[in-house]
Amino acid sequence: MRAWFEAMSGIMRRDAILFLSYRTQLISQVLGPFFTIAVFYFISHLLKVQTFHSPGGYFGYVIVGLVIVEILTLSLGIMPGSVRQELVSGTIERFLVSAHGPVNGILGTMLFPLCNAFLSGVLTLVLATAIFGLPLAATSFLAIPVALLGVIAFMPFALLLVALVMAFKQAASATQFIVSGIAIVGGLYFPIAVLPGWIRWMSEVQPFTPATDLMRHLLVDTPLVHPAGVELLKLVGFAVVLLPAGFILLRAAIRYGQRTGTVAEY
Amino acid sequence: MSTTSAASTAPDRAHAPIAGAPLLELEHLYHRWKGPKPPVLDDVSLTLRTGEVTWVGGRNGAGKTTLLRLAAGILLPQRGSVRMGELTPASKGGLYRRRIGFLSAGDRSLQARMRVSQQLDYWARLAYVPRERRRELVDISLERFGLQEFAERRVDRMSMGQRQRIRLAMAFLHEPRALLLDEPRNSLDDDGYRLLGEQIERATAEGATVLWCSPRGEDRVLASDTGYTLEDGSLEQIE
Repeated sequence: MRAWFEAMSGIMRRDAILFLSYRTQLISQVLGPFFTIAVFYFISHLLKVQTFHSPGGYFGYVIVGLVIVEILTLSLGIMPGSVRQELVSGTIERFLVSAHGPVNGILGTMLFPLCNAFLSGVLTLVLATAIFGLPLAATSFLAIPVALLGVIAFMPFALLLVALVMAFKQAASATQFIVSGIAIVGGLYFPIAVLPGWIRWMSEVQPFTPATDLMRHLLVDTPLVHPAGVELLKLVGFAVVLLPAGFILLRAAIRYGQRTGTVAEY
Repeated sequence: MSTTSAASTAPDRAHAPIAGAPLLELEHLYHRWKGPKPPVLDDVSLTLRTGEVTWVGGRNGAGKTTLLRLAAGILLPQRGSVRMGELTPASKGGLYRRRIGFLSAGDRSLQARMRVSQQLDYWARLAYVPRERRRELVDISLERFGLQEFAERRVDRMSMGQRQRIRLAMAFLHEPRALLLDEPRNSLDDDGYRLLGEQIERATAEGATVLWCSPRGEDRVLASDTGYTLEDGSLEQIE
């Protein structure tokens, strides 16, 4: 077990070294959220409607949505891209021939993007609070365990995209489709109440809506539609059902490539 | 820099089996790529024995790389089996791969922006080398392939021959029982070739087996015990 953890920390360390070796990447990751927050700060001045019951109004509402979009983009968006990069550069071979193995190796490549996404989300909140005066609720610290649970519930979607990359070598369009779709049906930029009835059911069959609602409640005191316990149970349920399914899918995609010989192709 | 002797740092080879005993057995392997092509491997069997070097040659596209990838567990057999004792890549993949050292052809599989020592440490972790031996094996590998002076240099700032030495160092680092080398002489200078020969001799003396594939006979390792050519999906032994 110790060897497993050391291999995982080795992959994470590798990804941190690679990330920090491109110095402008760090700067753009700090400046990017600042400008996005500024755009929505000024848009929020135009919107004075009764839909947003949190103290921060639309600004508070959308900032939490932005944090989740940030996490989705950096985890769902970057992860399949990183695995594709591993295929193209041939570095996936190290996983395929190592004791650690390809499934563990790919799982390891998810760690740094997830930590990075988490830190980026925290940075967005800090900037919104310190520079743009977002009133954070006293329960904000409770959002950390909820965010971690959310990440576990989001992970199967990343595993699905990575499985697509392993089987078909590309998943860029699927990634964009999934992230944009989640932004709409998960109520990240606007309340799901404004969606047409025929699409609203989709808000109930994925983990992003309960995660977003809980995070908003804890961070900016937006009232919950359902009790917190119900939202938490939904998140746990999605994680328990989808996570094993994601692993099975990834393993099957790798096995398919190993049988047909396409696993090392790109 | 540590100079601990190889024999004292080889847990897996500590009790070297009898020379010539079967170690890695490839039986009735069949592999066909998609499309209307004949199989690249058709009922190929090969036994790699302890302490021996086996060379497999053949024209480009004959199936040498496919054979090595099957032996390494990168690919799984469509028919036939690959096993090392009780271990197979499909059933006990982690344990199996722990005993395999693999070098692919070309110059891929390196993390371009990592330093050489970081690269080797990263590989040692993936290969499940215990923490207490990791530093020592990294240092030994740097020394064995003449890489000490480049230990802190980034991989993408090194020549092709130097990169090949790093890739070889990774294949040997965790002291595998079976070394599977695809065109290992690529880009190596005379000194690199000599170092490779020394490490093959050392590994086979400790009971490891080596499978060396390359298209040309002149690349054949000097101490090769058995030679085969792969043609039309079949192996033929060279007398």
